[in-house]
Amino acid sequence: MPEQPPYEPEGAMAATGTGGTMDLAASEATTLEKTPGGPGGTGPEGKPRSLWSDAWHDLRRNPVFLASALVILFLVVLAIRPSLIAPGNPLSCDLSKALDGSRAGHPFGYDGQGCDVYTRTVHGARTSVTVGVCATLGVALLGSVLGGLAGYFGRGWDAVLSRITDTFFAIPVLLGGLVLLSVVTSTTVWPVVGFIVLLGWPQISRIARGAVITAKQNDYVLAARALGASDSRILLRHIAPNAVAPVIVVATIALGTYIALEATLSYLGVGLKPPSVSWGIDISAASPYIRNAPHALLWPSGALAITVLAFIMLGDAVRDALDPKLR
Amino acid sequence: MLLEVRDLHVEFRTRDGIAQAVNGVSYGVDAGETLAVLGESGSGKSVTAQAVMGILDSPPGRITGGQILFQGRDLLRLKEEERRRIRGAELAMIFQDALSALNPVLTVGDQLGEMFIVHRGMSRKDARAHAVALMDRVHIPGAAHRVRDYPHQFSGGMRQRIMIAMALALEPALIIADEPTTALDVTVQAQVMDLLAELRREYRMGLVLITHDLGVVADVADRIAVMYAGRVVESAPVHDIYKAPAHPYTRGLLDSVPRLDQKGGRLYAIKGLPPNLMAIPSGCAFHPRCPLARDVCRTDVPPLHTVAKNRASACHFWKECLHDRD
Amino acid sequence: MTGTEPILEVSGLVKHYPLTRGILVKKQIGAVRAVDGVDFTLGRGETLGIVGESGCGKSTVARLLVSLEKPTAGAIRYRGEDITGLSPRALKAVRRNIQMVFQDPYTSLNPRMTVGDIIGEPYEIHPEAAPRGDRRRRVRDLLDVVGLNPEYINRYPHQFSGGQRQRIGIARGLALRPEIIVADEPVSALDVSVQAQVINLLAGLQEEFGLSYVFIAHDLSIVRHISDRVAVMYLGRIVEQGSHTEIYDHPTHPYTQALLSAVPVPDPEAREHRERIILGGDVPSPAHIPSGCRFRTRCWKAQERCVREVPLLAVPETLRTAGGPAAHDSACHFAENSLAGRELR
Repeated sequence: MPEQPPYEPEGAMAATGTGGTMDLAASEATTLEKTPGGPGGTGPEGKPRSLWSDAWHDLRRNPVFLASALVILFLVVLAIRPSLIAPGNPLSCDLSKALDGSRAGHPFGYDGQGCDVYTRTVHGARTSVTVGVCATLGVALLGSVLGGLAGYFGRGWDAVLSRITDTFFAIPVLLGGLVLLSVVTSTTVWPVVGFIVLLGWPQISRIARGAVITAKQNDYVLAARALGASDSRILLRHIAPNAVAPVIVVATIALGTYIALEATLSYLGVGLKPPSVSWGIDISAASPYIRNAPHALLWPSGALAITVLAFIMLGDAVRDALDPKLR
Repeated sequence: MLLEVRDLHVEFRTRDGIAQAVNGVSYGVDAGETLAVLGESGSGKSVTAQAVMGILDSPPGRITGGQILFQGRDLLRLKEEERRRIRGAELAMIFQDALSALNPVLTVGDQLGEMFIVHRGMSRKDARAHAVALMDRVHIPGAAHRVRDYPHQFSGGMRQRIMIAMALALEPALIIADEPTTALDVTVQAQVMDLLAELRREYRMGLVLITHDLGVVADVADRIAVMYAGRVVESAPVHDIYKAPAHPYTRGLLDSVPRLDQKGGRLYAIKGLPPNLMAIPSGCAFHPRCPLARDVCRTDVPPLHTVAKNRASACHFWKECLHDRD
Repeated sequence: MTGTEPILEVSGLVKHYPLTRGILVKKQIGAVRAVDGVDFTLGRGETLGIVGESGCGKSTVARLLVSLEKPTAGAIRYRGEDITGLSPRALKAVRRNIQMVFQDPYTSLNPRMTVGDIIGEPYEIHPEAAPRGDRRRRVRDLLDVVGLNPEYINRYPHQFSGGQRQRIGIARGLALRPEIIVADEPVSALDVSVQAQVINLLAGLQEEFGLSYVFIAHDLSIVRHISDRVAVMYLGRIVEQGSHTEIYDHPTHPYTQALLSAVPVPDPEAREHRERIILGGDVPSPAHIPSGCRFRTRCWKAQERCVREVPLLAVPETLRTAGGPAAHDSACHFAENSLAGRELR
């Protein structure tokens, strides 16, 4: 068996070229005996298991996945309906209570402007999740389409796109953010989302390009071509489903980092601007009081850290499930 | 006996369960003898060799029982430090894929020379001279200047010669060759097998040749151990086994190979599929595919019956199998 | 079973891959001559075996035959019509009749599709081949024909072993009821005991459906089993071709003789009396093909003439007069029936 890692028991993995299962091999031995053209065998109707359902089967038992998915689910609920657990208004502040500690009904205390840290932290989830999800969708869409086409058609397309992605990789993210976003006056999330998409797509496009090139080399693509399949059929039916896994993994991990990036930009004053509610803004506002009122810094930072970690761990778990050989 | 494997058991823990890769393998090789270990993928032939060499990846692999006696010592009881000293100096291995077995960033001269520097404490210059001599020995043309080349600059056959030179460097007592010619073309395969046979005679080494190719076996082996589902199902001197196999699996294999010396027609095919190591059939592992199978085969694991002097078969009905042939 | 009327005629087939240097301005500095002038015909219901070592261009020939690559020169005539310059629409129609079976059963099936979708895809690409309502039934029939349980229609490729996957690949190749199947080393990735099953299946299908095969292999013994005629390739050219008996019992080209003698025979009795020719050296790179006879660098018969003069693939003068099975196409200046009388076993 050529080119298999030596630790695999020879043949034990033979039936699992793409990391599936081999539980059927034994039961099939009996049905295979029938001669061509003979009466149909009555083998056990085994359940069909696609690679996706195999991955899901794996994920369901992975505690890392369950924990991070739970955290993310909770965050999404908060983003949609923050008032469920924080009925207050994050913008109603009372300067007289500035930097006060926790008290009944206000478990996290107050920040430097006398705003309720609990309410602001909960409401901050909406901005973070919105920026993260929108930026990731934009990046994934733009990156995989451009990268996929470059990988599939190669030659000129590929050369041009590769130079463009190289150029974008050369731009320092923070410097770019400071320069580009400082001229924007909008207080919505869209300039930040746009900026992240602009700088983020080359990363996904590289991944997508590589995945498409790998998938393209498989004989099943040749087989489809030998049948006379069109380019669009080959791309959509044969290449995309086999190239999408790494894009999903990288996009999930990137989602976490985009949330962190939004917070960083907001902290630097070029991301979201008040009256928007964002963890980055709150962290920035609370940092001068780190000695006498650490709670105002602690809660938004903690929320940010947990959120970013949850997405990164989710991405890792998904990667493991989609490609068991990576372990 | 130079090497004796006794009742070796190896299992692999995978995410889908435990794969019983080796289930009680026993075989032996004398000095100067060529033992062919014949089997298909999943038979455990390579895993057994990796266990002997001490290069089994663990985890997930684990040796769960048995002994590996090499020159009278049980390798499994030695410290890693001692095993490392034996490896290379007394016991060497040749792999199927020479390109991935050689380090791509070092010249072949450095890789060959390293053996002498590490094990023999030679100077760099002496080691280089020995490397050139070795390359000459395995008939690499222009060895003196090719010694500075990198592995990818050699053809497949030449790379396999370099692998052989490396295995040979410290004149080991035993070489294990794991499918050494499978990746090569027929004409090159003949060159490499010839070289191996020549060197084995000259150095009086033991050779364990792991292969799935019945033709190669017939050409070079003295004895054969046929493996199936992690066990030796038949062992015999090479002439006997081809004349009259004493196990239905061996017989099936022999009959299913298309032969150059025989005209076309329908090939005999062993029915069914190779066994799944996660769920090895009860009793005799071959029974679902065996034309001779009866009830006892489903329930009782057949012991290795002595068929004749130096011959054994793990089949309840070995007598029938022998006579069927005639 | 050998038909006389040719269904496929290949003449002067050439495929060169340019070697370029430079990043912006590409300059051609040479070419890999993968296929360098190949001619053969395939009769209806016949099996032509193409044998050669790695790098001889046999797989490229396969890809050219099923129009996965465009030839640099030459013609491939299917029923008299050259298919190399066809419009995409006309080519698509021809594809229904020439299908391919691939070597590696692990990469030739899309892991994200069910067996039913894989075998049924030809009908989606060629909707006229089968009415929509009938496709599912046809796929089940095909599974049955290749010896798989039709109940497996909803399973995925990774749930099958190598041999079973190859059966699925064969079923896909059969779906459009082609006349010609190009099989590129269809069993070399399989275990010995499974190889025989697949070879028997291919032979059975040929009888059942009257298929013509181009069977490509590096293994002379398998080709002997299945082929009516055999072509031996070396560095992009056919060096010898003839019937089964002509090639195996009366080879006249030194390369064929060496190939035959290098194949290990599973018979230990034979090893003492078998005369073996062991070729020196390696196959030269197809980017640097030797002048004259391309085999001369490894040939023990090579002389001055072999350096200067390219031997043509024809019946050699010396053998023509004698007639008999030794008189067949052989591209050697010094062809001789040297294996005559030598016992192969």
